[in-house]
Amino acid sequence: MSTAPDTLAITGWGVLTSTGIGADDFSAAVREGRGGLVDVEGAFDDELPESKACALVGFHARDYVGRKGTAFLDRSTALALVGCHLALADTGLVVDDTNRDRLGIVLGTTAGSFKSTSDYSRETLVQDKPYLVNPVLFPNTVMNCAAGQAAIWHKLKGVNATVAGGQLAGLNALRYTRNAVRRGYVDGALVGAVEEFSPHTAWGTHNVHERIGAHVPLGEGSAVFVAENPDVARSAGRAVDAEVLSVEIGSSPTGDTADGLAGCVGRALERAGVHVDDVWAVATGETGDDRLDRLESLGVALSLGTGPRRVRVKELTGECHAASGALQVSALLAHHRGDKALDGRVGVVTSVSADGAVGAAVIRGYARA
Amino acid sequence: MDRRVVITGLGPVSSVGIGAEDFGAALRAGRSGISPIASFDASGFPHFKAGEVHDFDPKALVRSLSPDEWGRTSLFAAAAGRLAVEDSGIDPALLARSRAGSSIGTTSGESQVVEQLTAQWVEDGMPSITPDLVRQAPASRLAVAVNRELGLTGEAMTLSTACSASNYALGYAYDQIATGDADYMVAGGADSVCRWAHAGFFRLGALTEHVCSPFDANRSGILTGEGGAALFLETLESAEQRGAHVYAEVLGYGLNCDANHMVAPDKDSIAECMRRAHRNAGIEASDVDYICAHGTGTPANDAVESKAVLDVFGPTPPPISSIKSMLGHTMGAASGFGAIASALGIDQGFLPPTTNHTTPDPELVGIDPVPNAAREARLDVVQNNGFAFGGNNAITILGRVA
Repeated sequence: MSTAPDTLAITGWGVLTSTGIGADDFSAAVREGRGGLVDVEGAFDDELPESKACALVGFHARDYVGRKGTAFLDRSTALALVGCHLALADTGLVVDDTNRDRLGIVLGTTAGSFKSTSDYSRETLVQDKPYLVNPVLFPNTVMNCAAGQAAIWHKLKGVNATVAGGQLAGLNALRYTRNAVRRGYVDGALVGAVEEFSPHTAWGTHNVHERIGAHVPLGEGSAVFVAENPDVARSAGRAVDAEVLSVEIGSSPTGDTADGLAGCVGRALERAGVHVDDVWAVATGETGDDRLDRLESLGVALSLGTGPRRVRVKELTGECHAASGALQVSALLAHHRGDKALDGRVGVVTSVSADGAVGAAVIRGYARA
Repeated sequence: MDRRVVITGLGPVSSVGIGAEDFGAALRAGRSGISPIASFDASGFPHFKAGEVHDFDPKALVRSLSPDEWGRTSLFAAAAGRLAVEDSGIDPALLARSRAGSSIGTTSGESQVVEQLTAQWVEDGMPSITPDLVRQAPASRLAVAVNRELGLTGEAMTLSTACSASNYALGYAYDQIATGDADYMVAGGADSVCRWAHAGFFRLGALTEHVCSPFDANRSGILTGEGGAALFLETLESAEQRGAHVYAEVLGYGLNCDANHMVAPDKDSIAECMRRAHRNAGIEASDVDYICAHGTGTPANDAVESKAVLDVFGPTPPPISSIKSMLGHTMGAASGFGAIASALGIDQGFLPPTTNHTTPDPELVGIDPVPNAAREARLDVVQNNGFAFGGNNAITILGRVA
């Protein structure tokens, strides 16, 4: 079996959020601190719990990829498709018959399109007969719908995976991709994560936030990276936006999230061969749950001290659940994109979940020429 | 240099048996796990049978988790993981302080939780959905449940690549140990029978009425099933040092994507996936002694799968049987049960049968589906197929430790 480096080269990326669309626009938004909170009243079919959200009001996939084939796509799938489209538009990598077998797609999710699944389940309860569901919409209820449709759209026949990770999904997807590349299964992948806004998730999140006293507006979006075997990207002469040096994931089954996260960050730095003093920024997850955010901050302090600058993308994008980690990575890349002074500097991304999952990635970034 | 990875524990929680011994005996006997649906009111459906695990009692199987805080699918995963670890004989305390994690596959995750939330919405409006249920809905909880149940501090990876997801999970776990990133992994999959999938498959015309008969000329579709399947993985060196019983070695796996159609299988792509799996496992097609089929029992799947096998193996391929004839289609757990059946077949020297077989399909010349009765056979190398919506093909290769 061929062996490849243990790292990934990001040669392009795309973000689709109400904060910014495309890597350039999103980067500007991050540098300017421009948030994406908008009025959502009346924008969706059902009543919403809050009048504002970081939602893509009026979003249609057809505005980006044309009308053909978009009629039955659910929102998660549409967000993923456009995220992949934007990422491919930002990279020097060209997909063609010589490489499509060696390129895959790896997407993170919470539970697929919750709206699609719940609406489908609802039909079995409210129709005259429980089986009077629409067969055309059935594939939208499976969690790998977005990755499968994106593969069809872009004709990518390599490893196609969907990782259900919630807050950890972005880091899970990067780690899965790094494994597929180092094992030689693919030369690269479109890797990212997606979360859709819907009345269903709005109410679900609102009711949970009310219970725990969290105050973060709900968001949605997708962030997708073109992640390649660094040797392949380099030999093709492609410009590299960032190197994913390591991704470490762990669990804290006894609830010791701070120590668990600190251990993860430490392992990630060690694998990356990076000294803690060389970390310029840490992009944290911060779910708005005070208890969890304190544990994350404690884990960061234990492992990185107070030196690195804190990047809090959720202040701009809202709570995007599964897309959170990928947006944190995007926020780091956004700082690099227009700032040569940061070239070669190393940032850390951290994620924690209420279930005790912890993760950290170490990423070295470069400016766009 | 890769470390060799072996399977030393099996944890099936299935409609035909719970635990390796019961499950293996059921496969040998060709026992059916199909029965009238009990988990939801199926009276309005023309077809009302499925492979439910009626006697699943999470309280009797999990020790650490509080069952009322977790959805049915997470409990399937945790119970299967617990059984696999018990079967391996490893000290649970040693495991908890080792570099150990889990990777679990699924199609619909906590589908019954989603259906409960939907019922709340229908009855009392969307604002009435309860936070406790919302927090049980993420599919990531499946692997987390395994780690929490067993006290594992490594990664918890839930792979939601639909009906081949267990093979993704088994392959990923194998990589983690082979490369030295982890020393022990629990790998497998879990899913629960749910109303929406029953309805969806019925409307697709893919749901049969009473029995699932893969590779039969008169096959007419799947029956949905459920359960949890887990395998305990460690290095060969570790297994030998502690004198563990080794069921089989994981030789490698192959993944690819049709990138063609969301639900229709693609013969050439599936054949390519088989070749990738063989290449990654360092074997030739002629080394394979048995194929544990995806074998859903739909006219399309079994025809395409058989033709891909004939393409790759030539006119006399090894026997290929489908345990879905007994279990129904357990979705994300399916290739996990396939892997368990394959490991038992290697360890105990038998081919699981395809039950409910009455009429050979004249279109499938050369296909030996091991009809109706298990068969004694020495198996050195087994291929375990998994295909899925989204064109997500995943094939694992297991072998006898030599």
